[in-house]
Amino acid sequence: MSMPEHAATALAEMAACHECDELHRVPGLAPGATARCHVCGAVLARNPRGGLGRPIALYITALILLLLANMFPFLTLEIGGRKEVCTLFGASRAMYNAGMGELAVVVFLTSILAPALMMSSGLYVMLSVRLRQSWPAVRLLLAWIGHLEPWVMLDVFMLGVLVAFVKLGNMATMHTGNSLYAFVGLILVFAAASSSFDRHLLWHMLGVPGRKHQ
Amino acid sequence: MRAIDAGLASCHTCGLLLHLPTAGHTHCPRCSSPMHLRKPASLSQTWAFLLAAMIAYLPANLYPVMTVVSFGKSQSDTILSGVIYLFVHGDWPLALIVFVASVLVPLLKMLALLYLLITVQRKSTRYRQQRTRLYRVVELVGRWSMVDIFVVALLAALVNVGTVATIEPGAGAIAFSAVVILTMFSAMNFDPRLIWDYQGEQ
Repeated sequence: MSMPEHAATALAEMAACHECDELHRVPGLAPGATARCHVCGAVLARNPRGGLGRPIALYITALILLLLANMFPFLTLEIGGRKEVCTLFGASRAMYNAGMGELAVVVFLTSILAPALMMSSGLYVMLSVRLRQSWPAVRLLLAWIGHLEPWVMLDVFMLGVLVAFVKLGNMATMHTGNSLYAFVGLILVFAAASSSFDRHLLWHMLGVPGRKHQ
Repeated sequence: MRAIDAGLASCHTCGLLLHLPTAGHTHCPRCSSPMHLRKPASLSQTWAFLLAAMIAYLPANLYPVMTVVSFGKSQSDTILSGVIYLFVHGDWPLALIVFVASVLVPLLKMLALLYLLITVQRKSTRYRQQRTRLYRVVELVGRWSMVDIFVVALLAALVNVGTVATIEPGAGAIAFSAVVILTMFSAMNFDPRLIWDYQGEQ
């Protein structure tokens, strides 16, 4: 860039609304503050309280819960004296066994793979920033997280569990498994983690290579 | 003032502002994503995914999403009959949620995208704030329609107790998840800044 240094600095304090393109001056936000576009109301920037320590702790917790949610029975069905145990992965496997590989991929991606990838790459990026280490592929992974986010459907899956409960309630007895409790915890911790960090703030912290000011 | 009027482009991925030379492609110096003033071919891609979703919407509602075989009898359920079953046999608050997620949301989402596309192409300057807000809601609620696919997967996983009962996912489930995924792609490709781009005759 042939831009003078002071112009680059001035530009770094500006932000364009991603929904209506209005230019704003967004200086450093106070902790807990949110900046909104004055034209369309979209969120421009957030500065969640607690720095990076909170989302790092919550993501570690969420990853442990995701592991637990995959280790134990999720739901058990009792019908005519026979018991059928279903794990979290069992939902995708059932689709595969029924000859619907496409749906097996969709269910596996949205309930296990996308959450796992998003949380582990988020943790990697935040640790790298927090420890002031420039680990490889940090920028690539942070860009990835944005694309993965819409495909994380843990909360939608939970609604599916509730509906399945009601539908089978009058033809069989259902028992909750330990993994289901871990899964409920995972949803809560994941929601808390998502609200405690802002991707754009992380981009700001990473800065532009070669530019003194971000 | 808008960024485009100042000759500035913001990166779709990381939000970095940059003076964009009018010709040629640039990559974002912060995240290496390609930089554009607007999402490239936004309207035609949004249209393509939306039309595909509309076509898939027919089999999604006509074919059964699952078939329950119990004691030799088999009963097929479509999306709509599944919701009706919940209203009759389950508790109605849950039935209402499922009705909204699996019937109302996909339908309203497609209509909303259609409305957004047409108003942008007709260079409408009315209700810009409301249309932007509509887009925000469409992006936010679309994923909830996937609930039906999860229900079918869970039921199929739980109920395969030999001869007593089995639940098989049906062809409608594939079409329905295609509708959800295609409308998600459609919404992702729409650029809401196009709503604000036509500044009227000056």
